[in-house]
Amino acid sequence: MSAPPAKTELRQEEKAILEALSSKLGSRITVAYSKPNRIKIIVSPIDLIEVATCARDDLHFDQCANVTGTDFPKDKQIEVTYHLGSIEGAGLRRIILAIACRVPSATPELPSLIEVYPSVNYHEREQAEMLGLVFKGHPNLSRFLLPEDWNDIPPMLKAYRLPGRLEGE
Amino acid sequence: MVAEQVEMKKSGPGAARDGPGLSILVGKAKEVIQQAIVDPLTYLANWGRIYSLWPVHLETACCSIEFGAVSGPRFDCERYGILEAFGSLRQCDLVVVHGTVTRKMAPRLRWIYDQMPEPKYCIAMGACSITGGVYFDSYNVLPGVDQVVPVDVYVPGCPPRPEELIDAFLLLQDKIRKQKIR
Repeated sequence: MSAPPAKTELRQEEKAILEALSSKLGSRITVAYSKPNRIKIIVSPIDLIEVATCARDDLHFDQCANVTGTDFPKDKQIEVTYHLGSIEGAGLRRIILAIACRVPSATPELPSLIEVYPSVNYHEREQAEMLGLVFKGHPNLSRFLLPEDWNDIPPMLKAYRLPGRLEGE
Repeated sequence: MVAEQVEMKKSGPGAARDGPGLSILVGKAKEVIQQAIVDPLTYLANWGRIYSLWPVHLETACCSIEFGAVSGPRFDCERYGILEAFGSLRQCDLVVVHGTVTRKMAPRLRWIYDQMPEPKYCIAMGACSITGGVYFDSYNVLPGVDQVVPVDVYVPGCPPRPEELIDAFLLLQDKIRKQKIR
């Protein structure tokens, strides 16, 4: 049994998506990488809603599967990534389009995508709580998963230290 | 032994005035009451408690699967009198903490423990409820459930085998058998 050959060549669907993205949005997006079944683009917070609307209406990515966040303390930035999938689109079932958006750690504000994808409600609430983000336009950013008496910085930031543990590190 | 004590009472001050018989009876009254009333009552009460340990239906993590196996027909802890009480917390004697307890769950666990009537016992089941397990440096997992409730028996394992949990029940029954009525 030999391992199957690594699939590095892009299929027709991914090429079509890249072409449509570059023709419709032009220089406002940066393609971070494009691999089979997965494309990641980076946008600025101002263009986020427009890019997501374009992905939904023109590229037929009809659902947002997940919202993730990462803290980059060296860049002093927080990256929020929307992972878009498609159920209805022809040939898009396996492809995930990741729209990444970097905001500065000092003022972590970005527009909410709840008007475009209503399913990001809980995901954005979770990221707002775990990373201290502010999603403008989100209807409810109250306490969600953490304990009610949480009195510390958001725990998914790299600066977070567990109280009473790991003092030397 | 009685003769010795009579001798002591006779030689002690004030012993001649009361007479030897009354002194012995008064001096040994506590032991007599202990042996005649308290010990049988303690035995009876403990006997009743041992064979009706009813755990709370509180499932915090994946160890509850093993507890389900213990309650099931193959391992069948009901033959030792351990039967999950689904009705009310007021009927429960035992809380088995099934695994991980988060910081958000900890006040709820204490709340449930406080609602149970005395006497009540606690078994910490699994590595997570003893020390936090693999989540020991997590921001939201309690490093040991004994910070919240007093624990009688610890059952290590990830998860413990059903036989180990049954062994913990038997250990707890031994502990109850030796306890005194308050």
